[in-house]
Amino acid sequence: MARTTELIVQAQDLERTYESGTAPVAALAGLSLEVPRGEFLAVMGPSGSGKSTLLNILAGLERPTAGRVVVDGVDLGTLDENGLARYRRGSVGIIFQAFNLLPRYRVADNVAFPLLLAGVAPDERQKRAAAILERLGMAPRAGHHPSQLSGGELQRTAIARALVTEPALLLADEPTGNLDSANGEALLVLLGELHARGQTIVLVTHDAAIAARAQRVVRMRDGRLVA
Amino acid sequence: MRTSDLIALALGNVGRARVRSTLTIMGVAIGSALVVLLIALASGAEENVKRSIFSIGDLRLVTVQPFQPGSTGLTAVARTITDDSVAKFRLIPHVGGAYRQFDAPLGTIVEGGEDAAVRPQGIEPNAPVDRGDLLAGRHIAPNERGVAVLPGNIARLLAPTLDGAVGKKVTLRLGGAVKLGQTRIAGSGTPRDYTVTVVGVFDERNTSQTSVRIPLDDAIVAAAENRGLAPDDMRKLTGYSGVSLETEDSRWVGDVVTAVQEQGYSAFSLKQVIDQIDEGFGIFRGILAGIGGVALLVAAIGIANTMVMAVLERTREIGIMKAVGAAPRDIRLLFLAEAGLVGLIGGVIGLALGLAGGRLIDAVIRELNPRVNPPSIFVVDLGLALGSLALALGMSLVAGFLPSRRAMRMSALSALRYE
Repeated sequence: MARTTELIVQAQDLERTYESGTAPVAALAGLSLEVPRGEFLAVMGPSGSGKSTLLNILAGLERPTAGRVVVDGVDLGTLDENGLARYRRGSVGIIFQAFNLLPRYRVADNVAFPLLLAGVAPDERQKRAAAILERLGMAPRAGHHPSQLSGGELQRTAIARALVTEPALLLADEPTGNLDSANGEALLVLLGELHARGQTIVLVTHDAAIAARAQRVVRMRDGRLVA
Repeated sequence: MRTSDLIALALGNVGRARVRSTLTIMGVAIGSALVVLLIALASGAEENVKRSIFSIGDLRLVTVQPFQPGSTGLTAVARTITDDSVAKFRLIPHVGGAYRQFDAPLGTIVEGGEDAAVRPQGIEPNAPVDRGDLLAGRHIAPNERGVAVLPGNIARLLAPTLDGAVGKKVTLRLGGAVKLGQTRIAGSGTPRDYTVTVVGVFDERNTSQTSVRIPLDDAIVAAAENRGLAPDDMRKLTGYSGVSLETEDSRWVGDVVTAVQEQGYSAFSLKQVIDQIDEGFGIFRGILAGIGGVALLVAAIGIANTMVMAVLERTREIGIMKAVGAAPRDIRLLFLAEAGLVGLIGGVIGLALGLAGGRLIDAVIRELNPRVNPPSIFVVDLGLALGSLALALGMSLVAGFLPSRRAMRMSALSALRYE
């Protein structure tokens, strides 16, 4: 039992099939995965291997067709839509390849947005957003709009937003995909630092060089983990 | 999400699509203004009609008339109102007082010349007809005889001032042929002269320019002498011209009317007229509100269209909000709040437009026709003001319902992929 509390992610026999035209397509075909607390895990695989589907299921954005996922002690299958929303803004932080910032809001407001949804008071959420931006070296950009930022700055803003709720699990889907090599390298250094401070990270990539920066690498093919 | 944050987000989103929001708000404002204006017009008309009815008399009164209405409404059977029947009226529950009235033969006030043709009404002291409309002097006192209260227009024929007419002795020539206005009425019997003292002058504008109020017994004596009968026989034979029953409160009027009718007499009350007017104006108001409602309906379609566009345009934004933890409920509330804001702002502007438009039309009508001076053509009470705001808000929420549900049900993942 002591071991299970150490596990932040327990995924068992996950299946996910999409109805596509005549034949159903299986994105996940019986995948099981365990992630201990504090691990930096890279999930590697070619496109179409199902790695993004896995990440979306861990993020609570998608439900598996079969199987069970427990994250930080919560069985995601037992949550309704509102419960999943609470899970997304409390237990996980997500970094997307496309950044997915709200263009009309300032950097500080983008970062504070999950706290706004959680009903945190304005003063408190501005304070927390400012603190995380400071930590990521983005404090001078807090009043800017996303259109005024460089790619690296956009991704750091997205990371700040993902971390502002102090999630148990940080998920990253090809986070360097839209960055030049210098910014990509800076991002990987930043993820390494976060990991060093104890943050659990699951990163999805098709790039072996990026995956090599993680503590552990698992490979996927056709919806399954391969050795 | 906090309510204050929700409203701030919604305000920001409404302000972002400025041109579209303004156009949609204008649609709501015009519809609301029309509803306010039309209902205010109907209310103003109703108020004016009621005001003139209130000026005629007391809503607590039931007037008993000396006939029984026939089944068709066109036929009527004459019924005599005797002292016995008056005693029975007094026993009807909630009747506070019964005041007999006797119309003496038509005649003229000799000193006033041809224009002073009068209909002398014999009334009892403190009768409802004899309250509160005095311009000079006093009312008829109990047990007083040989006095009269004249309408202002006739008093002015007798003396330069109304106070000057009070105290004058005048000759009432009753019976025989009389000229009332342009009409010559062939009266019965031989004219007789009665000398009376003017004790008071009443305001003729709200009642009658030809009525002269005299003591009840004087009227009966004059009629009896005209017909060659004894006064007591007159009471029994022809009975009284009418009886005013005063109820304790206007809510008893209906019951008293029914009780009088059960005794076989016609009963009339202003209260029932007012009730019918209320009903009629209710329909009138409903029709006008319906016309305004069509404009509001068009505005609602405008809101729905705006919201559908907004949901479509902001698909990606909805996806992002959901991905970082917005619950379906939050998304629905946000879009409903935006629709509600458009409706509420439009409603406030519409109310202001309606009030201003009403004032303007009011002023123009008075300017064009200064002689017509109704108290108010448009009447906007608090109920109408708040009701129009509630209508605009409610309508916009209904219009925003389907678009907001669409936004709520959107899958976060497919919304994120939307370009």
